Amino acid sequence: MADGPVPEMKVVGPSSAPDDVLRVEHIAKRFGPVTALRDVNLHLKKGEVLGLLGDNGAGKSTLIKILCGFQKQDSGEMFLHGKPYAPKSVDDARAGGIETVYQDLALIDELSVYHNLFLRKERVHRPFPLLANRQMKREARVALDEIGINIPRIDVAVARLSGGQRQAIAVARTVNSDADIILLDEPLAAMGAKEGAMILDLVARLKEEGKVSIVMILHNYVHVLEACDRVSLIQDGAIALDKPTAETSVEELTEIVVNEYRRAREATHAEEAAASSAASAASAD
Amino acid sequence: MPAGGRELLNRLIALREGSIIVVTIIVAIYFSANTSTFFTGENFKTLLPYFAPLAILGAGEVFVMILGEIDLSIGAMYMFAPIVFYKFQTAGLGLLPSVILALLICMAVGAINGAFVAVVGVSSFVATLGMLFSFEGLSLILSHGTPVATPGAQIHQTTVMVHHIVNGHNIVLAEKVNHVGTFAKVFGAGTYSELIWAVVIVLILQVVLTFTRWGLYTVAIGSNKLGAAEAGVKVRLVTIRNFVLCSSTAGLVGLLEAIRSQTIQPDPSGPNELLLLAIAGAVIGGTLLAGGSGTIVGAFIGALFLGILDDGLILQGVNANYKLFYTGLAIIVAMTANVFVARARRGHSGSG
Repeated sequence: MADGPVPEMKVVGPSSAPDDVLRVEHIAKRFGPVTALRDVNLHLKKGEVLGLLGDNGAGKSTLIKILCGFQKQDSGEMFLHGKPYAPKSVDDARAGGIETVYQDLALIDELSVYHNLFLRKERVHRPFPLLANRQMKREARVALDEIGINIPRIDVAVARLSGGQRQAIAVARTVNSDADIILLDEPLAAMGAKEGAMILDLVARLKEEGKVSIVMILHNYVHVLEACDRVSLIQDGAIALDKPTAETSVEELTEIVVNEYRRAREATHAEEAAASSAASAASAD
Repeated sequence: MPAGGRELLNRLIALREGSIIVVTIIVAIYFSANTSTFFTGENFKTLLPYFAPLAILGAGEVFVMILGEIDLSIGAMYMFAPIVFYKFQTAGLGLLPSVILALLICMAVGAINGAFVAVVGVSSFVATLGMLFSFEGLSLILSHGTPVATPGAQIHQTTVMVHHIVNGHNIVLAEKVNHVGTFAKVFGAGTYSELIWAVVIVLILQVVLTFTRWGLYTVAIGSNKLGAAEAGVKVRLVTIRNFVLCSSTAGLVGLLEAIRSQTIQPDPSGPNELLLLAIAGAVIGGTLLAGGSGTIVGAFIGALFLGILDDGLILQGVNANYKLFYTGLAIIVAMTANVFVARARRGHSGSG
């Protein structure tokens, strides 16, 4: 790492509180030669909304995919309600009360709105496990009305819906469950201002109810300061900042990100300088 | 067109199978009008052995095709199952246990297909093409390339004395009567046996596809594999299960046909043609090769269409050399009609 006027990169170590619902310690994950996560420490209190910031490729989505059981970390430990947590599958994580809205939404275009809402949580008849479509339609209607999402017809394929409606359904899928931890990977992407506000309202309402804890990846600093209790900033596969939103500002967050950019640029310069001096040494011989 | 007719046509078009139903009816009407023998019960019976096997093969194949995969090895299972059935039977096992064992082996092959595709990550076209050749080759090796009589399918002829009263005189005449065993009657040799198998399998699998989690996950994987996995669908398990289903239906058809025809023919050319016709039937029945959408009933009607076409062309006295050519053209025309009707359907269901 380059020395100089740019401040040294900070890595926030593990911290915890007695009422942590989720704690993540020293998580690392590599994909071949690429290090996605180096050393991530994170904790989430009951009823808290944690905003996760970071540049593209910083490792936010990878962290979410490890938390929700879709991928497994190479090293590090996780604790759910104080107990070791090592989900083997998405179903495992769901059984532990963790629901996820993925960046790509994980919606099935060919299936109807209500089948998407109930995917992997289907209601079936007894004793023959045939799909209880009427019951699912009814419950889906109630759930969507409660959340305040306006979907005119719930028996059409989701391929027919607009980007915002699709996002809303992906979010509704997690809210319409018994989850006590919800992971949202860029819930405001592809949304218009009105639909985005609706999702933020929904998060605010869930926070008020205090039953669920939320980890939310966002890009917009203003949204983070507005909607979250605390913010964690991922840089280069580690947490570079972890503060209550009340104690930070758009300026501070921006400065950290800009410093990261300058560090990266200086490192590239240093490498280039080293390469050119090596080349000139070789030609001198 | 009268209002009632237009209403009916609109309803048909709204169905995924609608276009192939319309095309099949048109073809049937054409042959009924042009030949005196098409629309008869006797002809229906000759039609059955052509389309019933295709319908069963198509039913299994649709489950794999909805995933966005393809199973070419059904031709090999069709050829292989009767040969292992024969081996088990001649080794001293009973007829029914031999059938069950043969089907279990087909299921195991299906599991290998599924594992190659879902776990190893080989493209299904390549993996099942390899399995097609391997198991057709294995069939030739095991059978030494020699046809044999299918166990349990022999027809016994007995002579019975029948009393007739002619002009008040009581006379006795000897008549020959064919007997087929119950086993053979159930497994393909009975006139309607294959049709009953086809209808029952198609209905059960259509219910599985439309009204169970298995079917829902099959569509989900074919439509958005990553999304289905992220939602928690066990993609590998469902994929393997569908390949197992497809292989076992193909093995069953092989057994039914061997018992119906009373011989086990170790010749890959028939199975290879059948496998492509089954896929053609599924596609013209409304199943997408790209996955995400499909219908078992549609594949059944697609098979019926191919059966009617084959049968009608023969009745019309079409030169044998032209038959394949006409069949190919008809498939292209039916597919094109399908595309147009599907477009109309999208417009139709979009408005209401």
